[in-house]
Amino acid sequence: MSAISELSHIHVEKPKTAEERQQRRKEAGRDNKAGYLFLLPWLIGLVLITLGPMLASLYLSFTNYSLIQAPEWTGLDNYARMLDDPRLHKSLVVTFIYVIVGVPLQLIVALAIALLLNEGMKGLAFYRSIFYLPSMLGSSVAIAVLWRQMFEVDGLVNQVLRLFGIPATTSWIADPQWALWTIILLHVWTFGSPMVIFLAGLRQIPGMYYEAASVDGASRWAQFRKITLPLLSPIIFFNLVLQIINAFQTFTQAFVVSNGTGGPADETLFYTLYLYQRGFVQFQMGYAAAMAWLLVVIIAVFTAINFFLSKYWVFYGD
Amino acid sequence: MALNRRQFLIGAGGLAAAATTMGLGACAPGSQGGGSQGGGGGQGGATELALAWWGNPTRNKNTQAMIDAYMKANPDVKISGQPGEFNSYWDKLATQTAGGQAPDIIQMDMNYISEYGTRGALLDLSGVDTTKFVEGTVDSGKINDKLVGINAGINSAIIFANPKIFEKAKMDMPDDKTWTWDQMLEIAAEVASKSGVPFGMASMVGSDPMFGTFVRQQGKELFTPDGLGFDVAEAQAWYELNLKGVKAKALGTPEQISEESAKPLDQSAIVVGTAAMQYYNSNQLEAVSNAAGGDLMEMLRGPSLAGKATERKTWYKASMLWSASAKSKNPEAATAWINWFANTPEAANIDLAERGIPPNSEILAEVTPKLSPAQKVVAKYIEDIKTEVGTTPIAPPPGGGTIAAVLFRHGTDVLFGRTSAAEGAQKFVDELKSNLQV
Repeated sequence: MSAISELSHIHVEKPKTAEERQQRRKEAGRDNKAGYLFLLPWLIGLVLITLGPMLASLYLSFTNYSLIQAPEWTGLDNYARMLDDPRLHKSLVVTFIYVIVGVPLQLIVALAIALLLNEGMKGLAFYRSIFYLPSMLGSSVAIAVLWRQMFEVDGLVNQVLRLFGIPATTSWIADPQWALWTIILLHVWTFGSPMVIFLAGLRQIPGMYYEAASVDGASRWAQFRKITLPLLSPIIFFNLVLQIINAFQTFTQAFVVSNGTGGPADETLFYTLYLYQRGFVQFQMGYAAAMAWLLVVIIAVFTAINFFLSKYWVFYGD
Repeated sequence: MALNRRQFLIGAGGLAAAATTMGLGACAPGSQGGGSQGGGGGQGGATELALAWWGNPTRNKNTQAMIDAYMKANPDVKISGQPGEFNSYWDKLATQTAGGQAPDIIQMDMNYISEYGTRGALLDLSGVDTTKFVEGTVDSGKINDKLVGINAGINSAIIFANPKIFEKAKMDMPDDKTWTWDQMLEIAAEVASKSGVPFGMASMVGSDPMFGTFVRQQGKELFTPDGLGFDVAEAQAWYELNLKGVKAKALGTPEQISEESAKPLDQSAIVVGTAAMQYYNSNQLEAVSNAAGGDLMEMLRGPSLAGKATERKTWYKASMLWSASAKSKNPEAATAWINWFANTPEAANIDLAERGIPPNSEILAEVTPKLSPAQKVVAKYIEDIKTEVGTTPIAPPPGGGTIAAVLFRHGTDVLFGRTSAAEGAQKFVDELKSNLQV
C-alpha cells in the first residue's frame, strides 16, 4: 500500500468553531503562498519560455509569415497546404520508420546491456560510464560528423569490411537504400540513458524472487519472462514513452549527416529537418509553425495510444 | 514513497510531453520594436553601425582591417563587426531581421537578395556611386528596379581542371572555346578512365549556374519577372545529359555524386585529387589551389551547345553584394561605408580580390599589381570573357534560391534510377513553381 492511500485513512478532526475554520483557512493560504513562491522560478520559465512562444506559434500557424514582414492572417491555409505537400508526406514516412524501428531496437539493446551489467561484475561503475558515454555524445555535431566519415565509400566501416575480404564499395550515407539506416544505427548506439534507467529498475527487483524461482527449478529464461519482465514493465513503459517523444524530434543527426538537405533524395528528410528548411531556408515560418503543431498532435496521439495500451501489459506490483 | 510508481510515471510522461512543445518556441516572432538596443546613434556623438558578413579566415582579417581603417579616418563612426559562417549566417540574419535587430550593413548573396529586397527589408542604395562599374555588374543588385545590393566582387561560373590528372592521363587540356556539352562528357570519361580517378567532371547535376547557361543557350532563362523562365523540356534534357555522363563513367557513380555534394571545399574532389574537373566559381581559384597543395588549377570556360564560347551565354555574377537594413538608424552612414568599400583604393588595397574582382574598373587597375598570382589569373580571365558574357540574369525571385537544392535532389532520384528523366524534370519544375508561390 502506498503512502498516498495511507494518507487518506488518517482521521482528520473537523473544525468545530467559526474561528477555528478561519484560522485553518489562513494557515492553508499561507502555505499555498509559500508553495507558489517556491514554484515561481519554474512558473516564470514556463510562461515566458514555453507557454508564450507556444501560443505565438499557434497564432503564426494561421498566418503567412516570412520572418521579414509582419505576419498576415490566412486562416487554415497552411494546414490545407500540408495535405498535398509530397515532401511533408515523405518526411512523415522517414520519421515514422525511424521511430518505429529505432526506438524498440534501442530499448532492446539498452535492456540487454543493463541485464549484463546487473550481474554484479567487477568495475560496474566503469562499464556503466563507458556504455553511457554515447548517449551524451550521440546527439552532438561532432559525432554526426564522425558518423558521416565512418560510413562513406572509403570510410572506416568499409575499410574494416575490406580487411575481411568483403569488397565493400557502398557509400552507406549516400545510397538512398541505406542512408536512413545509418542514422537509425546512430540512434541505437545512444542507448545509455534508457540503460541507466533499466539498471536502476533491475536493482529494485528483490533477489528473493529469483532465489525462490531457482529453488522451484525455473530456468534463467523463465525467470526473465516471469519475474524480470513483469516487474520491470513500468520502467520499460516509461522508457518507451520518453524515447518515442525524443525520437520524433530528432534533428541534429539528420542535419549534420546530410548537410541540412535530408539527402540522398530526401531519404533522411526528418520531420524537424523539413520544418527547419521551410522556416529558415524558404522563409515560410507560418507553415513551419503549422508543421510544429502537427508534430505536437502526432506525439500526443502516440503518447495517448501508449498509455491506453499500457493497461494490457504494464504490471504495477505495488 | 510519497507517490506510487504509476503516478510518478504518468507525471513524468506528461512532463516529457510538455518538454516536446518547447521546440515550438523557435517559431515565435521576436518583439517587433527592437527598442534602444544597438542604437545610441545621435545622443552619444558617435554613429554606431553593425556590419555582418560570412567568410573565411582571410576575409575575416581583411574585413576587420577595413573596419579599423574606416574608423580611423572617420572617428565619429563606430562599427562593430559580426563575422559568421555561411549556413548559420542566414539563420541568424533572418532571426535578427524578424526581431527588428538586423545589422546596418549586410553582406548579401544573390540567392537571398530578393527574399529580403521584395519584402522591404533593404535600404535603397542609389546613393552609392556606381558610375565606374563595369557594364552588367550593377543590375544584379536591383530588385524591382530598386538598387538594394552593391556588387562586392565579380565572379563567373567556371570549371577547374587539375593539370596533374590530365598529365597522368597523357591528355592535353581541352579547348574550352569550342567544346560542346557532349564533347565535355567524352573528355571527362576519357580522362577519368586513363588516370583512374572516379570523377572526370564533378558536381555537375546540381549546379544551377551550369544548368543556367544550358537553359540560356536554348533561348530561355532560369527566372523571369513572371516566375520560372524554362520548361520541363529543358530540365529533362539536362537530366538526360547527366544520365548519359554517368553511364559513360564521366561524372562518377550516383553514390559518389551524392556523397560529394555534402563535402566542404577543402575535402572536395578536385582538392583531394579524385576529380579531373569540377564546377566552381572563379573567385575560388586561390582557395581551391591552396587547399590542393599550391599548384594552380586550370580555369576552363563552360561548354556550349553550339561549340562557340561566344554563344555560351555566361554572365558576370556578383560573388556577393553589400546591402543595408531598411530599419537602420543611420542609413546615411551605412550607405557611406558601402560607397567607401566600392570606390576607394584604401578599402580595395586591403581586400584586393578576396571578394571577387572589383567591379569598379579604376579600382581594379589600382589593385591589379598587388594581386596574388592566382588572383591575377582570375582578373585576366574575367577581362578575357568580356566579349563573351550575355545579359545579366535577374536575381532569383523569393523562393527561387532553392533551385540548386531542388535541381540536385530530383537529379539524384533520376541518376539512381528511381525515376525517369521526364518524371524527375516534371517534379523539379512543379516543386520549384510551388516554392515561388510564397
